[in-house]
Amino acid sequence: MTATATASAPATDIEKQFTISRTFNAPRDLVWKAWTEAEHLAQWWGPKGCTIRVIKLDFRPGGIFHYAMAFQPGHEMYGRFVYGDIVAPQQLQWINSFSDPEGGVTRAPFGGIAADFPLEVHNTMTLTEEGGKTTLTLRGGPLNATQAERKCFEGMFDSMQQGFAGTFDRLDEYLAKA
Amino acid sequence: MAADPLSHKFAALADPTRRAILARLALGETTVTDLAKPFKMSGPAISKHLKVLETAGLIARGREAQWRPCRIEVNALREVDDWLEEYRRMWEARLDRLEDYLHELQATENKRGRKK
Repeated sequence: MTATATASAPATDIEKQFTISRTFNAPRDLVWKAWTEAEHLAQWWGPKGCTIRVIKLDFRPGGIFHYAMAFQPGHEMYGRFVYGDIVAPQQLQWINSFSDPEGGVTRAPFGGIAADFPLEVHNTMTLTEEGGKTTLTLRGGPLNATQAERKCFEGMFDSMQQGFAGTFDRLDEYLAKA
Repeated sequence: MAADPLSHKFAALADPTRRAILARLALGETTVTDLAKPFKMSGPAISKHLKVLETAGLIARGREAQWRPCRIEVNALREVDDWLEEYRRMWEARLDRLEDYLHELQATENKRGRKK
């Protein structure tokens, strides 16, 4: 996989995407900056308790953001974005994956994650501003996925949409009575 | 690639009929005949879906030859639910950090603004 993957033409099904949304009490320009500039990304993108080292940030369509995440000194994991369409300050598309020190694509470097979790996830972030607040909507779906990966993601997505929590509530009641 | 058990479970869940079967089984153990009733499907078609769910470890079936009641494997479904929770939490946590960071940025900007 080269760094010129086409993030603007996702081979992913819109209906089958992971979606998350949040409204920030901040102007859109600031939210955009936090997402697109290396010094800002390094401050919040990494998981809690992890420092991010920006190896490269080439912010343009086809450009790459390559970073190292260190949970403890000397143990780095790598991730990368390949940017697709950039419509400042309202929409950003990128392909996210785990990476190696050289910037190639790799599987998740730890256990507990489904083996068929897609290698690459195509993300679309949209920012809308109203009354000084900015709403962020993020959609993610598998890219160039094998059939197994696609199915795995669809199962995840559908289960999330329909909320298995409800099923468990009923099940707990059932077990309590049994 | 040899998929892990969790991948098998998610793949099995990628079908609306199978999810409906699980929802029905959450109400209690039942026979294939009773399970098939709400679906406009033949017995063999339902059996095929049950086979997929069973292979994925999401349901178990009784051994009685005629009356093979199906029941949900609670722990397997919990595992699925936990993973989904974790995935969503990862994103929620990330957006929490962004929120905090935006506050910091704004606080810094306000300070600078006042100094001018």
